[in-house]
Amino acid sequence: MEVKNKILDKSFLKKILSSKGAYLLLLPGMGFFFTFILFPLIYSFRMSFYKWNIVDIGASNFVGFSNYVRVINDPIFIRATLNTIVYTLMTVPGQILFALVVAILLNQKIKGRTFFRVAYYIPVITSWVVVTFLFEYFFGSQAGLVNFILRDMLHLVDKKIMWLTDPILVMIPLILLGIWKGIGWSAIILLAALQSIPLDLYEAATIDGAGIWHKITKITLPLIRPTLVFLVVVLVIGGFNVYISGLLMTKGGKPLDLSHFILTLMYKKTFTYLDFGYGSATSYLLAAFIFVVSVIEIKLLRRKVEY
Amino acid sequence: MKRLIIFLIAIMLITGMTLVGIAEEKVTVTYWHTMGDTEEAALNKVIEMFEEQYANIKIKPTRMAYDDFKPALLIGIAGGVVPDTARLDIIWVPELAEIGALVALDEKMEGFDEIIANTYPGPTSTNFWKGHYYGLPQNTCTQILVWNKQMFEEAGLSGPPETIDEFVEDAAMFSNPDEEIYGYAMGGTYFWAPASIFYAMGGEVTDSGITTATGYINGEKSVAAYQALVDMYRDESLSPLLLGGGGIGVFEGLATGKYAMIIEGPWAQPILNSDYPDFEVNFALVPRGPDVTTSSVVGGENVVIFEGSQNKDEAMLWAKFLLSEESQLTMGEAGTMPTLSTVQGNERLPEYYDVFMEQLKTAKARVPHPKWAEMDNAINNAYQYMLRDEKTVQQALDDAAEEINRLIIEG
Amino acid sequence: MLTTKEEKIFRNIAYILLICGVAITLVPFIYMISASFKSQIYTFEYPPRLIPRDPTLVNYIKALGKDLFGINLLNSFFVATVTTVSTVFISSLMAYAFSRMRFPGKEVFFYILLLGMMIPPVMLIIPQFIIVKNLHLLDNLWGLIVVYISVTLSMQTFLLRSFFETIPRELEEAVLVDGGTRWDIFRKIILPLSKPGLAVVAIFTFLYAWDEFPWAHVAIREGSRRTLPVAIALFQSQYLTQWGLLFAATTVASIPAVIVFVIFQRYFIQGVITSGLK
Repeated sequence: MEVKNKILDKSFLKKILSSKGAYLLLLPGMGFFFTFILFPLIYSFRMSFYKWNIVDIGASNFVGFSNYVRVINDPIFIRATLNTIVYTLMTVPGQILFALVVAILLNQKIKGRTFFRVAYYIPVITSWVVVTFLFEYFFGSQAGLVNFILRDMLHLVDKKIMWLTDPILVMIPLILLGIWKGIGWSAIILLAALQSIPLDLYEAATIDGAGIWHKITKITLPLIRPTLVFLVVVLVIGGFNVYISGLLMTKGGKPLDLSHFILTLMYKKTFTYLDFGYGSATSYLLAAFIFVVSVIEIKLLRRKVEY
Repeated sequence: MKRLIIFLIAIMLITGMTLVGIAEEKVTVTYWHTMGDTEEAALNKVIEMFEEQYANIKIKPTRMAYDDFKPALLIGIAGGVVPDTARLDIIWVPELAEIGALVALDEKMEGFDEIIANTYPGPTSTNFWKGHYYGLPQNTCTQILVWNKQMFEEAGLSGPPETIDEFVEDAAMFSNPDEEIYGYAMGGTYFWAPASIFYAMGGEVTDSGITTATGYINGEKSVAAYQALVDMYRDESLSPLLLGGGGIGVFEGLATGKYAMIIEGPWAQPILNSDYPDFEVNFALVPRGPDVTTSSVVGGENVVIFEGSQNKDEAMLWAKFLLSEESQLTMGEAGTMPTLSTVQGNERLPEYYDVFMEQLKTAKARVPHPKWAEMDNAINNAYQYMLRDEKTVQQALDDAAEEINRLIIEG
Repeated sequence: MLTTKEEKIFRNIAYILLICGVAITLVPFIYMISASFKSQIYTFEYPPRLIPRDPTLVNYIKALGKDLFGINLLNSFFVATVTTVSTVFISSLMAYAFSRMRFPGKEVFFYILLLGMMIPPVMLIIPQFIIVKNLHLLDNLWGLIVVYISVTLSMQTFLLRSFFETIPRELEEAVLVDGGTRWDIFRKIILPLSKPGLAVVAIFTFLYAWDEFPWAHVAIREGSRRTLPVAIALFQSQYLTQWGLLFAATTVASIPAVIVFVIFQRYFIQGVITSGLK
């Protein structure tokens, strides 16, 4: 009832009309978004309440929340969730810290700046398949570079470490890979954000006798805060969506389905076991969780942005 | 302006008519596969022969990436865009049949019985699900023993082991873990890897009617088979490669003198030839177990026709043609093993096929069941538990049996 | 920045840190390039060698010699370029609305848009496939482009919004005082001052469209219309991965992405903006 009154309220109508400029700007993007993202999203959301029959959709059985119940009660899903959370908690701060250092360094007037920028960007463009394989090779137990360095060169260990066959140890190469591949991505964004800081602020600070550290913490960081918010949100989402590296390095949760990430489990259930209900329920649990986390992050971190 | 419109309409009519004309004249049958370059070249020859014989049909092959083939098919099925025909890994046929995506060929294909009368029973059986055949065996394969002759000679052995006991004994002789040298290596713990030894020693996953796994996967012979492998691993005569630690691959290890024996499929020959031209490839039958009725494992691919196809009649002709002697021989020359018993020993086929054909006579197919992928996972996990010493062989297989029974009931 | 003694020291430390970082960053990449010049036998020898013995071009000859490699490369280039231009344009309009305008439903729209980043893309493939099929865009490069634009929109809008927000509002007021419109603000203030942000969007969108595999593998079946990542995946057979070949193809494939980066990173130049406080 209240809603109805609100719509009928003249001032509300006026507001909408006066904001038609904004809607016009949103129109093309929202057109794409509704057609190719939102509609598919609703479609596969429906899937999560059915025992889905992909050949004859009419023959699918409505099963209510039972797919969700199955997922939540599955110990493999719980383990996959824990792995994913650990991965995210390790890779997000890792990426941001290193990226911040790299971005600040790359922002100096130094010789060979383009070279350094390209060098840090290279891991971003190299395909996940290839770099995952190379990390696997480096961490291989029999012929790997890491064991070669640790055992044969530095003599730190006397037995070759089985990095990839232990469900806990395998997280180390996976996390290192995640950080290694992500630094350049975040650094580029931060580097771009640093450009928007007015130089006269630094000049004023220098005249006031401020040091480097002071400038970074009192000028740089506060001014790129919107970008940092963006990075935290996007990297957390990316962390929860970790997929290809896990799939390849753990061969889909090996050993013993203990090293799954949420998405490798989802993919295996959907496309290897044809359990579309389980797969979509997993995806929506994941999306709901990330959504809540992101909203909290944005609300908490954004507060100070408004000038 | 008017003239332009008339001109455009005229053009549209003409092109429209020619398009209709072509559509009436030629039917296009799509065929998806996951072949490599050599096979694809042979396939193109087969297509040429087919199109010569059936002038009104055009075959349009599409090559897909193996790892993403099943998802691509499933998405196509869900979206109502399926190929007319495809060459599928034999283990996918029951699950696609179960969801109703495939045509039951024994019902719809003329002369089906005559065709399968000439094919090997092992590969043919992989098309069978719930009373019907959903495909034709297009090519087959099995695993056999590949051994490094130089290593055997240096160890003073006259030839490859013939029985499982000799196999275990020989493997132990080679092992020198400090130098990463092992008597035997397998590529993983998925069921396919130990399947040859498992079946050779009389192991079974379920009963033949697929109603229970109790007394089969955890039966005496299955337990003995896995026990033998676990013992070899403990003795360090089986390479730790199978745990998946990113070690030296089986082919590389065999060719470079790290592994004395591996058990692999016919692709071993071209792979070893191209990567290690100096290595002499030697095949032998999988060592015999105490009971010789079964040995090794059947692999390969089946050609199927999809329910969503608009050109089923033409698709049937193509599927049948793939089972003709000429196409089987042409593909056979490129390294895929024929399923027709009538071409066995044909001089056009490579010599190394003989030992595979011999092995195939007693090779056994994995459980043809829609839930096989999950059963495989259960056995895989059981194997990992044993190797890690977290469960005894019996315990691990008991648990696997329980899991497989659950999958059978779920259907 | 004024050069003080402290900053000189800082710059030297920066050099040392950057060089150490580069060493770690580039090891896998260098290894890949080195292995692309090795024949299969030596790809993974132990102990590992960085300088290939008997270097060979055979992998490059094989990769570049594939019938459709050139066409696949052009397809990728077309798809990535069109996607990039469209996404930059569309997402900057949206980001402007979200960062500078007030309208009913702003928050709701924004969070709905964010949802697009949160659901795993794989889960959307089946319905996307059905839609694209009904639009008759299967087996068509435009079928890739429309999906790529939609997938990248959410994040790029979010990113650009964060850049637009860092631009001081005082600058806009000046335009309004001079009788300018919102469109003038967008064109004369926001866009020029956000060049670094727009460059980032261009770089990442191009890379996404250049690298994407799952959708391209499903939506395109005609060999001559396939994009590079799919073509490269098809080099491999089921039983053996020819790593040297894969590495060679990947090395070649990464060159355009590097070029795009080099072109756009030029916009990362400090000093365009003043705080307006003086």
